[in-house]
Order: sequence, then C-alpha cells, then structure tokens
Amino acid sequence: MLNALRRRQILPHAVLAIGVLISLFPFYWSIVLATNTSADVFRYPPRVIPGTHLVENVRHVLDNIDFFGSMLNTLIVAVSTTVLVLFFDSLAAFTFAKYAFPGRRVLFGLLMLIFMLPAQLSIIPQYMIMAKIGWVGTLRALVIPAAVNAFGIFWMRQYISRGLPDELIDAARIDGASFFRIYRSVCLPMIRPGLAFLAIYTFIGAWNDYVWPLVVLTDPNKITLQLAIAQLNFGQGGTITDYAMLMAGTLMAVVPLLIAFTLFARNFVADLARGAVQG
Amino acid sequence: MELNRRRLLQLGLLGVAGTSVAATAACGDSSSGGASEKKASSLTMWYWGGGLSKNVVSSAVAQFPTPKLNAVEIGGDFKAKLLTTMNGGKGMPDITGVKGEDIASFYPQAKQFVDLNTLGADKIKSQYLEWKWAQATAPDGTQIGIPIDIGPTALFYRQDIFAQAGLPTEPADVAAAVSTYDDFFELGVQLKGKLPGHFMVKDLASLYNIIVTAQTQFYVDKDNKFIGDQQHIRDAWDTAIKALTLGIDAKISDGNDTNVGMTKGTLPAQLGAAWAGLDIASGAPDSAGKWRVAANPGGPANIGGSFLAIPKSSADPEEAFKIISWILSPENEAKGFADASLFPAAPAAYKLPELTKPDPFFGNQVTIDVFGPQAEKIPVAFTSPYDSAVSAPFFDELSNAETKGKNPDSAWNDAVSKAKSVAQRLGVTV
Amino acid sequence: MLRYWPQYLAISPFYLLFAVFGLFPVLFSLYLSFHRWSGLGERKWVGLKEYDFLIHDHTFWLSLWNTLIIWLMSTVPMLFGALVIAALLHSVARGKSFYRMAYFIPSVTSLVAMAILFKMMFSSNFGLINAVLEAVNLPTYPWTNTPWGIKISIAALMTWQWVGYNSIIYLAGLQTIPGELYEAAQIDGAGPVRTFFRITIPLLRPVILFTVVISTITGMQSFTEAQVMTASNGATNPNSGGPGQGGLTMVLYFYQQAFSYNDFGYGAAIAWGIFVIVGAFAVLNWRLVARQED
Repeated sequence: MLNALRRRQILPHAVLAIGVLISLFPFYWSIVLATNTSADVFRYPPRVIPGTHLVENVRHVLDNIDFFGSMLNTLIVAVSTTVLVLFFDSLAAFTFAKYAFPGRRVLFGLLMLIFMLPAQLSIIPQYMIMAKIGWVGTLRALVIPAAVNAFGIFWMRQYISRGLPDELIDAARIDGASFFRIYRSVCLPMIRPGLAFLAIYTFIGAWNDYVWPLVVLTDPNKITLQLAIAQLNFGQGGTITDYAMLMAGTLMAVVPLLIAFTLFARNFVADLARGAVQG
Repeated sequence: MELNRRRLLQLGLLGVAGTSVAATAACGDSSSGGASEKKASSLTMWYWGGGLSKNVVSSAVAQFPTPKLNAVEIGGDFKAKLLTTMNGGKGMPDITGVKGEDIASFYPQAKQFVDLNTLGADKIKSQYLEWKWAQATAPDGTQIGIPIDIGPTALFYRQDIFAQAGLPTEPADVAAAVSTYDDFFELGVQLKGKLPGHFMVKDLASLYNIIVTAQTQFYVDKDNKFIGDQQHIRDAWDTAIKALTLGIDAKISDGNDTNVGMTKGTLPAQLGAAWAGLDIASGAPDSAGKWRVAANPGGPANIGGSFLAIPKSSADPEEAFKIISWILSPENEAKGFADASLFPAAPAAYKLPELTKPDPFFGNQVTIDVFGPQAEKIPVAFTSPYDSAVSAPFFDELSNAETKGKNPDSAWNDAVSKAKSVAQRLGVTV
Repeated sequence: MLRYWPQYLAISPFYLLFAVFGLFPVLFSLYLSFHRWSGLGERKWVGLKEYDFLIHDHTFWLSLWNTLIIWLMSTVPMLFGALVIAALLHSVARGKSFYRMAYFIPSVTSLVAMAILFKMMFSSNFGLINAVLEAVNLPTYPWTNTPWGIKISIAALMTWQWVGYNSIIYLAGLQTIPGELYEAAQIDGAGPVRTFFRITIPLLRPVILFTVVISTITGMQSFTEAQVMTASNGATNPNSGGPGQGGLTMVLYFYQQAFSYNDFGYGAAIAWGIFVIVGAFAVLNWRLVARQED
C-alpha cells in the first residue's frame, strides 16, 4: 500500500526537483563567480565549480565600498517604509473595502492611474519637490514617497473585502464601536496574514530599490546598499570588468534578505498563501 | 470618552510610525557643500568609476586639506543623476565630471556652469589640445569644462592572429596597409579566407561611429540645421555597409561575447579609442602581450574623453578651479594614464615617462608613438546638442540591416526620414 | 458628507502623500507632454505635437511590439508553469515547505544582479546556455546578438523570477478547494484532466484573475530586465534596446528619450501612451478571464 503511494509520488517529486534546480541555479552560479577570479569569468568553457577566492573578493568589496554602513541605511529605510505602508495602506484599504462614502470610486480610480504609469516618469518632478522641501540627500526622501504604494492598497482591499466578514463589523457597530475602534479591534487582528505578506513585499521592494535612491541620495556617506554595489563598476561607460567582485557584493547584499526570509519563511509563505486566497 | 480614547490611539499609532520616520530624519540631514555658508568647509566632487584615476583623486584630497575635498564616485547613470539634480537646483556638487558624449547637450545650459575663463582658464588653455578644449566651449563663449582625457582612435590588433593569416604584423606596416577603409576591408577578406570564423569588424555600429567621428561636422551644423542626409554621412554609411556585404562583420554587440572573441582571437581587430585598450586588457586578460596598436584607417578621430566642470552653485569656485587645474595638470594627467588608462588631453604629458613607457599588454610597444601623432591631428569639429538624438536612427537602421537583413538602401532612407522627424521634434531646422 | 469624516480621516494620510508624490508627478508629466523640454532651461509649448510624433513613430510601435512579444513569451509560460507547479506541490505529501521556499527565492533577489547574471548565461560565445547546448551536441544560438534571441533571454529572466511566486499563490488557492468536490468527481468517473478543467480552474478563477492582471501591468512595464540585458559598452546610442532594438520595451524607450536624449516632453508623451495601452490591455485581460465567471 505504502509502496504504491510512494511510486505515485516519484514523478511529481522528480519534476519539482528539476524546478528547484532551475530556480536555485543562478544563485549557485553567482556563488561560482564570486568565489573565482575575474579572469576566470571569461574563460570558455566557463567554470562551473566554486573556487577558493571568496575571501579575496569579499575583501575587495569591503575595501571599495562602505558595505555595512550602506546596509544599515537600507535597513532603516526598508523598515520605516514597511511600517508606514502597513499602517496607511491597511487603514485606507479597510475604508475602501467596507465603507461607502462619496467619492470612493473616483479616489480609488486615481490609484489605478498611478499604478499604470511607469515609475520612472515621476523621477524629475519628485526630485524637484524634494529639492524644494530640502529633503535631497536624506533617507526621508526614500521613505515617504514609497509609502504611496498602490499595490499595497489593492492587495489589502482585496484581502479585507473577502476575508473580513461583514457580520463582525455589523456586530461591533451594534455594540457601539466607532470606526477607528473597529479598525483596531476587529480588522487588524483578522488581516494579519495579509499584512505579513504586504510587509515582506514592501520590505523587499525597498531593499532592492535602485533608480530613485541613485538620483536623490547625493551624500556619499549616506547611500543604500544597491547604490554601494553599483559603485563596484569600473571602466568607461560603466562597463563591469570585475565580475567576481560584483558577484561577491551582490551575494553579500542578498544574504541578509535570505537569512531573514528563512527565519520567517515558514509563517510567511503560509500567510502569503492564505492572503492570496482571500484576495 | 470614546472620542478621546480613539484620538489617543490614533496619535499613538501615528507616533510609532513617526518615530521610525524620525529615525530616518535623525540619521542626518546633509546639504553637501553648503551653498549658504560663507566659506565652504568642504567641497564635493562627483565623478564616475574610471573617470578619474583613484590615485590622483586621493592625492588631490591630500593636496587640498582645506576646504576638505569630498570625492564621490557615482555608480549607474551619471548623466541622469546630474541632470535631475541640476533641475532640482539643490544638492549639486561643487565640482563635477561631465562625460564627453554629454558636454554638447549642456551648451544651451552653459549658464548652469561657472565660465572657467572668469577664473583664469584662458591662461592654461594652451596646455591642452585645441580641438578638445573647443568641445567644452559653448557657442556663447562660456568655457564649461577643462578636458580630463581624450580618446584618440587607433586600430588594436592581435599580432599573432595577423601573422597566422599572412597579414602584415608590425604597427608601421599595418598602418600603411590600412590607410583607407577599402584596404582595411581587403585585409578583412584575406583574414576570413585564411582563418574562417575570424572577423575583422566586430559590428557595424562601432565601425560607423569611428568613420563619422573622423569628420569635422556631423548631423546638425552650427546654425542648427539638419545635415544628416549629406554626402559625408552617406559615405560613412556606405563604407559601413560594405563591411556587411563583404561578410567580414561578426555582428557581435554583446560585450561578453566581444571579450571572448578577443581572447580566442576570432575578433583580432578592434577599432577604438585609447581607453578601449583598458577594456581589452580587462576583458581579455589571457591575450596580454599579443596585441599591438596601429593608426586606424581613414583619418584620426576622437571618441570620448571627458571634462571637469564647476556648477554655478559651487560653494567656492576659486578653490574648485585650483583643484581642477591641479588634477588636470600634465603631470597628473600622465599619472591618470598610468593608473586608469586616461589618455591625457595635455600634450606636454606625452613626453613624460608614464606615457613613453613600453606597454607590456601591447608586447612592450610604446603606444604613445601611435596615439601622440593621432591626437595632435584630430580636427576641430562642431558637436550639436542634438547630434546624439539625431544620430540614433542611423545606428538603429544599421542594426536592422545587420541583424534583420534589411535592404541597406531602404534602411538608409528610413534612417534619414526618421532622423529628420527627430530633428524637427527637437527644434532643429530641417 | 460630514457624516463620513472618520472615513476621510482614515484615508487622508495616504491620500495626502499620494497628492504630493503620486498625483503631482503624474499631472506634471501630463503638462510636460505638451511641451518641448530638455530637462533644463525653458519649456516650450507645442500643443499636441509630441503626441502627433508619437503616433507616427515607428520606433514606438516597435517598442510596443517588443513589449507584447516579451510579455507573451514570459507571462504565458510563467502562469502555466505556476499552475503546474502548484498542482504538483498540492499532490505531494512531504517537503512542501522546502519546495515553497526554494521556489520563492528568485523573487526576493536584486533584479539588476540577476539580469547581469542572465546576460552572461545567454552570451553567444561565452555563456553557459550555449556551453551546455554544445556539450550535448545541439546547435548553439546567438542569444544576445539577435533581435529574437534577446527577447527570449529577457523573457527567460522574467519567467524565472516570477514562476515560484505565482505558484505559491495558486497553491494556496488549490488548498481551499474542498476535497469532497474531487471525491465526487472521481465517483462520477471524471479523469484528472477533466477534473482540472471543470473543477480546479473555475474555482481558482479569482486567484488567476488577480495574478493575470498584476502580471499584465508589471510585465508590460518591464524596464530593468531590458535595460541591463541590452546595455552595451558604447557611448553611442545608449539604451537603444540591443540588436535590431529587439529588447526595446516601451518603458525603456521612454527612459532613453527622457534621460539619454534629454527630450522630456516626448518622454512624457510616451509615458502617457504606455498608460493608455497598458490600461486597455489590463482591462482586456480582466474581461477575458472574468467573463466566464458568470
């Protein structure tokens, strides 16, 4: 009986395993690149096993950029952004999902507008605003605009409208609870999985953000991790010539995310699952 | 009451969010350079990776202790950042690099920079190559920048591969054998015949680019008129297409593939500027010692080579000018060559040991013997701010002919009509 | 109106920020699209000229074509792959957590770094893909040097990055389908394929709708993948989309015109063109998928 079951499972496992290999292979390969020398990178046929130069490449990275300082900045930005987004977006989404009020359609429609326009479009006007209010070169300039996260509202609204039963709200209202109280006591606890997903999504987005920080962070001592990594380029016109160092730097930038992810992953993926379904 | 508690809660939540946001604020507010201060305590200089020699930069920092020099290397799209910052008006550095390909686009905005002539630039003008200096002179006479380096072109070739294919091998012989592009292409045919799979031309774009930049005018003239359909461009186009029809074009645009080709020898020739030597050295390190340099076909041309400029918001223009002149003195430009392959724009540097040293990558050839004379012969040319945008359709159509097999004549027609509309859109007279 | 003050208060933090950092840039860009502006200096009013140019601009339509093809090449396999993987994950008894994590990781990394890596892997003379093909005696292909090849490379990157993420979303959806339905179907004699199409897909419809709409919008706005993979050393013709401009997506074209060629008026017009097209497409997709729900 058990054997029959096991045999039926072999095929799915085999296919899934192949998928895992494909998923993880680029990481493996970047490890290969990060542990060899740059000259090895252009060898043909290419090297496929890790080498012994990791420490050397890591040292190059640390010599060339302020890795830990920029990582700290990125961490501050990512956390602040996530907190703001969670709060503002869930509050607004809750309102859209469960309450009718004049202008609701129009306001929500405006969100679709910015979602569909390319983000790069806002770079210049956004910079002009930052210059006017004196936020150029500050981390605030990264956090505050990022709080305007249309996806966050769509996601939470979907989640709340399906996942938060109206009866609970009605019951609370009958009990005399005010709007904000309902938000705090009824809504928030029920949408935790959805919030968890949004939190990770926002955190990752903030961690990996590149173009806007490039433009607005003018102080060399206060840059984010992605910018620091980008500075590992050499050569005219920005050609990358030290791939080994660049890959080492990239790996170093991903490791904290991976660690955090594996630590919180179990819950997170399950939450994502639940969040998506209700959404 | 209900109201109060609710309010308090709200405020509490806002407070939590606020503290984290405040953390970002507390982490410092910086306005670099302090345009509002009377005497700047520090000066910020922006440059890109490889734009200046790191050694020269650190020497400059040591040489000018007060005000402190903050040299910042900007990764990514340098021009986008410079432009956006200039637009916002805040956060501009006190000294900035300006890439050669961008300097012309700043002509209409020359007032955004300090006219270096007012700081004494005219006194050091003679130190630099006239045609390069002219590139940073806006039509209204403002001297926007001082040249860091130039990109005199040459033909880089693999001596060993040439030998295998029965082609001339000594630089002087090669230069004589490729004085015209027709001659050059003949060698290419010979190369392919003897060594199949080996191509003299990497891709049409790089070939076309060199041919065009050897001219004295490009796509838009001094009076803002479109001249991209005229003979000089047509000739360049036809020459490039010839490489395609003769079958000596490798059609490789990917940088990684180019590196491998150079290492393996299937791309034994590169037409490029002096700084391309660095790209070859880092992209194909295994082929060290096998390359040589010769004068390229057609006339000497220049590709690239950037400038240092002082934005008008600079906190201390006089000091900034001192720093710039020091960094760009012939001695330091020579050092820049030694460290970062930045070919000096000051001819006096050509006699200095860093330049007259034999280069092991090129089999101990003294490359200044080729580049020096080329550099001096480069003609003064006018680059319009719109040349870049107007030239794009030509490159695009060449790529179409190259990779999609489009008929070259219809490609030319499309390129011209497209270029005309782009020009019109930008306000050029067609 | 006043009765709704808690609601307005609730949405106000978001919308205040939105007005400044969301709406203003958008309106400003609309304003820009009626001008000629080089990023500095004066803005010259030109009315609808930029849009007129846009409509007649072959390169823009080429970029639309590229974007659509790349989107098709990536999103379709991506969503199907995600469904298949989800189904497989659903059917195995053990190792679910491990698989979920492994499949999710690609969407967590820096896109720039992965794009650089993929570019190297697809290199004609140098890349891993061709090395493997050679090793098994299959013909190699110039991936990054031809218009179609570059599209495939970009699409491969996009697919790779998002398959896992979407598969987990689908898996969650699958997990909510009550087992009884499947049992009933089995009793009725329905085979796996029939069950899949008659039960699974219809019940997954809302989830599928969500992923399709999001993938459409983000896929058609692809920029980083295209920019990094078609970037070349030359100072000439920057951001032009690679061989035959095969990798020129709409957003990349916008970026090129605005930031490489200093034509912000035209760039703004392109951006609005993108908006109209993406909007229409998203609505189309929505209709297609949601229609059968009735």
